[in-house]
Amino acid sequence: MSFLRAAASEVIGLFVGDWVQSATIVVILAAGWFAVSHLGAWALVPLVLLLAGQVVWFARAEARRSSR
Amino acid sequence: MLAVGLTRGWRAPLLGAAAALVSLGALVVFFGELIVTHVPESGLKLLVGTLLLLFGLRWLHKAVLRSAGVVAMHDEERAYQETVGQLREAAAGRDWVGFVLALKGVFLEGLEVVFIVIAVGGTGKSLPVAVAGGVAAMVVVAAVGVAVRHPLAQVPENTLKYAVGVVLTSLGTFWAAEGMGAKWPLDFVSIFALVIIYLAASRIAVTLIRRPVLA
Repeated sequence: MSFLRAAASEVIGLFVGDWVQSATIVVILAAGWFAVSHLGAWALVPLVLLLAGQVVWFARAEARRSSR
Repeated sequence: MLAVGLTRGWRAPLLGAAAALVSLGALVVFFGELIVTHVPESGLKLLVGTLLLLFGLRWLHKAVLRSAGVVAMHDEERAYQETVGQLREAAAGRDWVGFVLALKGVFLEGLEVVFIVIAVGGTGKSLPVAVAGGVAAMVVVAAVGVAVRHPLAQVPENTLKYAVGVVLTSLGTFWAAEGMGAKWPLDFVSIFALVIIYLAASRIAVTLIRRPVLA
């Protein structure tokens, strides 16, 4: 049973480390989907920039948290 | 696997590893075939792209924090020595301890490989090639482990995970956007641009949060 629990948490852990960051990524993708359906390929530019920007944002947030 | 084998004998851990590999193979065959044959291509690209993006960004995030010295580098040598120490302290005798430890280690670590194989093989409709790549990687790791009888401490693990994180994040973005119905300029060549953008963003993050390197 503990093995199954470990496997389940390992599977979730593959995709989610910080729930806020994962939720932010999903929201960016959902907004990107909406934008792509209305604006076409041009919407890819802000989509990629937002995804790249959150890499910097959440790394800084974790660095600040760990320094306290 | 090496830690268990060297401290408790090889029979039980080899059986545990074999059981784990059979289970992982069954996952690839079951989910791989299910995905390739039953899920529409655009839905598959969106789903797998999103999961690959989450997976790749998680690796990239950890690699950035390690590169910047915010968290300690993963030390394979120390992890190996700790496992050996715990196993020597444990009561000797029961072989199933070695079996379960090897099974658990190989299965849980292998889940990441299974996901990459299914995601890349399923989305690109080239599951056999992806499986062959996964098997080749496994053979190389096993061969190096047997040859040096030592944990893979010399492999720059963080650099490898950093690179893989950037590539998986780029592939995930590419496929997720295609699943949304977007057409990338220059098609798959855009993946190289995505690699450059994510690499640049991660280097900016490392520069902004850099601290003295932790041991």
